[in-house]
Amino acid sequence: MYNFKNEYLNKNAPRPNYQVKSKLHRVFTNPLGQFALLGVILSLLQILNMMGIIPRDIMSSIAFVCIYAIAAIGFCLLLGYSGLASLGTAGFIGIGIYILYFGLVEWKLAGLLVPFIIVAIISIVLGFVIGFVSLRIEGIYLAIMTLALSEIIVKLLKTIKESSLRISPINLHFFGIIVNKDTIYFAVVVVLILLLIGTANLINSPTGRAMVAMKSSVSAAQAMGISLLKYRLLAFVISTLFAGISGYFYLAYLTSITPATSTILTLSMSLNILGAVIIGGAKSLWGTLFGTFFVYGFQSIFLQNIPFFQENPAFMVMATGFLIILVVMFYPGGFAQIFYNLKLRFKSAKMKWRTHRYGVEE
Amino acid sequence: MALKNKTKSASQYGFFTSKKIQALRKKISFYEARVTLYKDYKEERTLEINEAFQTKINNFLAKNKRLLLTKKYEHEDLEKQFNQTNKLAIDKYRIEMRRKFRIKREQIRRKIKRLRKKDVSQELIAFYENKIVLYEKFYNQKTEEYRNIRLLKFNDFIIKNQDFKLNIEAVDKLEAKLTKKNELFTIKHTKKRDQKLNRINVFCDKKYKKYQKKLESLRNLFEDTMANIPSDNILLAEDVVLGVENLCMFFGGVKAVNDLSFTVKKGEIFGLIGPNGAGKTTVFNCITQFNKPTSGQLYYRNVLGEVINLNKVAIHDIITHGIARTFQNLEIVKEVSVLENLLIAAHRQYQSNFFEHALGLPILRIEEKVIRRRADKILKFMGLSFYRDWFAWGLPYGVLKKLEIARTLMANPHLIILDEPAAGLNDSETKELADLIRKIRDEYKCSIFLVEHDMGLVMDVCDTILAISFGKKLAIGTAKEIQKNKEVQAAYLGVSEDE
Repeated sequence: MYNFKNEYLNKNAPRPNYQVKSKLHRVFTNPLGQFALLGVILSLLQILNMMGIIPRDIMSSIAFVCIYAIAAIGFCLLLGYSGLASLGTAGFIGIGIYILYFGLVEWKLAGLLVPFIIVAIISIVLGFVIGFVSLRIEGIYLAIMTLALSEIIVKLLKTIKESSLRISPINLHFFGIIVNKDTIYFAVVVVLILLLIGTANLINSPTGRAMVAMKSSVSAAQAMGISLLKYRLLAFVISTLFAGISGYFYLAYLTSITPATSTILTLSMSLNILGAVIIGGAKSLWGTLFGTFFVYGFQSIFLQNIPFFQENPAFMVMATGFLIILVVMFYPGGFAQIFYNLKLRFKSAKMKWRTHRYGVEE
Repeated sequence: MALKNKTKSASQYGFFTSKKIQALRKKISFYEARVTLYKDYKEERTLEINEAFQTKINNFLAKNKRLLLTKKYEHEDLEKQFNQTNKLAIDKYRIEMRRKFRIKREQIRRKIKRLRKKDVSQELIAFYENKIVLYEKFYNQKTEEYRNIRLLKFNDFIIKNQDFKLNIEAVDKLEAKLTKKNELFTIKHTKKRDQKLNRINVFCDKKYKKYQKKLESLRNLFEDTMANIPSDNILLAEDVVLGVENLCMFFGGVKAVNDLSFTVKKGEIFGLIGPNGAGKTTVFNCITQFNKPTSGQLYYRNVLGEVINLNKVAIHDIITHGIARTFQNLEIVKEVSVLENLLIAAHRQYQSNFFEHALGLPILRIEEKVIRRRADKILKFMGLSFYRDWFAWGLPYGVLKKLEIARTLMANPHLIILDEPAAGLNDSETKELADLIRKIRDEYKCSIFLVEHDMGLVMDVCDTILAISFGKKLAIGTAKEIQKNKEVQAAYLGVSEDE
C-alpha cells in the first residue's frame, strides 16, 4: 500500500538537490577544520594525562610522534609533491637541537622564543645555501649529496660538543611563564597544527600545483612558466625549516641528550622519516601523520600491552616490520591508499542507497 | 655616451630589456591584472549568488508542492493503483485455474481412451465425461469466489477513503497556507540576496577604484619615460609576429638547424614540414628556449606591439610574453585532474605570492574563482567539459591531445606553437582538428605555428608553408607552390638515378 504512494511521489515531485550541504559539513571538509579538530583531541589527551587517566609513558610517546611529525610533513612536501629525495633530515634536526642548547646555556638568551626565531632563520639560510649547491642534480644523486652534507653537519656539531647537552628547567619559559614537560607539549601541538594548516593551504594553492607539475613533467612545467630552481628551493627550504623546528622541540621536551649515543643524529633517523612518509602515503598529510605514528608510536602504545610481546620484546620489531612489508606490498600508496579505497566503497554504497530511494538521475 | 648606449639597447633587444622600463612594465601588468581581477570577480559572484538564490527558492517551492500533492491526489491515485492491482491479480488467478483444469482434462481424456480400447461399458465412459464438466464448473466457481473477495476488499478500501474525498476544504486551506509561506520565503531571501550583492559591489568598486588610480598614474609615468627613448622597430615589419634570422643550432658536429630565416605574419597559420630528422622540433625548441641557439636572432612582437629578443628571455618567462607550446610526446601532469592541468597552465597569471598561498588569504580565493571560470569556458570550447574532474591518468589519447591544446589557450596566447598535433589521431579526428585550429585562430586572434607530418592537414589548414631538409630551407610559399616545388619533391621522394 505504502509503496504506491512512494512511487507516485517520486514520479511527479522534483528530487531533492544533492549539492546542498550543511555548514558543519563544510567545516569538517576543509583542512583547517579537520586539523583544528586533531589539535583539540591531542590537547585533550594531555589534559586526561594530567588528571591521571592516561599513563605517562603512552603520553610521552605521543609527544615524540608529534615532534617527529613536524619533520615528516616537511619531508612529505619535498618527496611526495616536489619529487626530490633527500636523506639530510638528521643534520637539520641536529642544527635545531644545538642552537637551542647554545642559545639557552652558552649565549644565555632569555626564554624559548628567541632561540626559536634563531633556529628558523638559520635553517632557512642553510636550506637556501645547501639547496642552491645540491638542487642542480636529481633523483638518487641528490639523496647521496644531501646524505653527505648532513654527515658533514653532524660531524661538525659533534666536534663542537659531544658530551651531554643539558638544559636547566629554569631556562624553559615563554614570556616569563615557566614550562615543564607537560606544558611544552601544548606548544608542540599548536606549532604542529599551524604548520599542518599552512602546508595544506600550500598544497591546494598554485604553489602546490606547480610542485606537482615539476615532479610529473619537467618540460611541461618549464613551458607553463614554472621556474624549476625557485620551486625546488622553496620545497627544500620548507623541509629544512620543519626539520629544524622538530629538533628544537626534541631538546625542549627531553631537556637532556647525549649526541654521542643518541640515535637522532644518525642516518637511521633520516631513513625512519623517509619510511614513515612512504608507509603513510607520500601524497597525503593525514597519511604522513599516520605513518609517523606507525613508525614511532605503534610499538610503545599498542604492542607493549600484549603479554606475548612483553615476554619476547624482540618480536615487537619483527611484527612492525612484517606489517610494513604487507602494507608496501599490497598498497604501494601506503595507508592513505587503504583509507582512500574505503572511502570510495562508502561513497558507492551511499550512491546505491540514493538510487534505491530516489531512482536513477536522468 | 650614456644616451648612445640607451638607444642602442632599446633598438637591439626591444624595449623590454631596459631595466627601468622593465620594472615599470611589471608593475603596470600587476595593477592591470588586479583591475581585471576585481571586475571578473564581481561578475562571477553576482552570477553565483543569483544561482544559489534560484536553487534555494526552487527547492523550497518543490518541497511545498510535494506536500500539497500528497494531500490532494493521494486517494485518487491509491484507488487507481488498487483497481489495477485487483485486475491483475484476478487475471492471474483465472489463468492459473484454467491451467489446472486443462491438466485435469487431459488426464481424464487419456483414461477414457484407454478404457475404450478395453471395451468397457458406456456408462463408465459417460461418468468420466461428466467428471470433466464437473471440474470445469468447480474451477470457474473458484475464480468467481476469488474475484468476489477482491472486489469486497476494494469496496472496503473505498469506504475507508471516504474521509479523503470529503476533505477538500482542508486541502484548500493547506494550499493557501503554503502560498503565503512561499511568498514570505521569497521576500526574505530576495532581501538577503540584495544585501549580498550590494556588499560585493561596494567591495569590488572600492578595490577597482584604488587600483585604477594607481594604474593611471603609472601609465602616465610610463608614457613619459617612453617618450624620451627614440622608438625604432626596424627589426620587424608591423604585421610580423615572429622573425627568425640566420638561426643555427649545432649539437657537436651535427648541424640540426643551419642558417634558417623566415617570418611568421600576424593571424597566420604557418606550417613547417620536412622529412624525419630535418630539425623541425629543434626550431621549436630554439624559439621556446629549450635549446639555446648556437647563433642567430629570434625576434618576437607581443600583443602590445613591442619587439623582444627571445634569446635574452629565460625559459620559464617565455609564456608570459604570450608564446604557448604543445609537445610531440604528451607532456601532461597525470597526477591531477583535467581542470587542474589548465590551472597549472595559468600559473603565471596568479599575482598572489607564496605567503598569501600558505596563509590562505582571500585574494587567492578571488583569483582562483576567476581563473577557474575561465578554465571552464575553455573546456567547454574544446568539448572537454565531460572530463573536467577526471584524473588525467588513463584518459584516451585524443582527449589528452585536446587537453594540451586547451592548456595553450589557458595561457592567453599570442602565438601558439603546435608540435605534431595530428600524430596518433585517425582521419576523422584529423579533420576535426583542422576545423579546431581555424576556430582557435579566429576566436582567440592569435597566430599558429605548427609542425606536422600529415600532409593532408598541412595543405588544408596552412596559409604559408616552409619546407626544410637537414636544417636548411628548401622552399617557402602557399600549399600549391610547395607541391609543385621540385626540391621538396626530391627531399620527400628521393632523386632518381637517371638525372
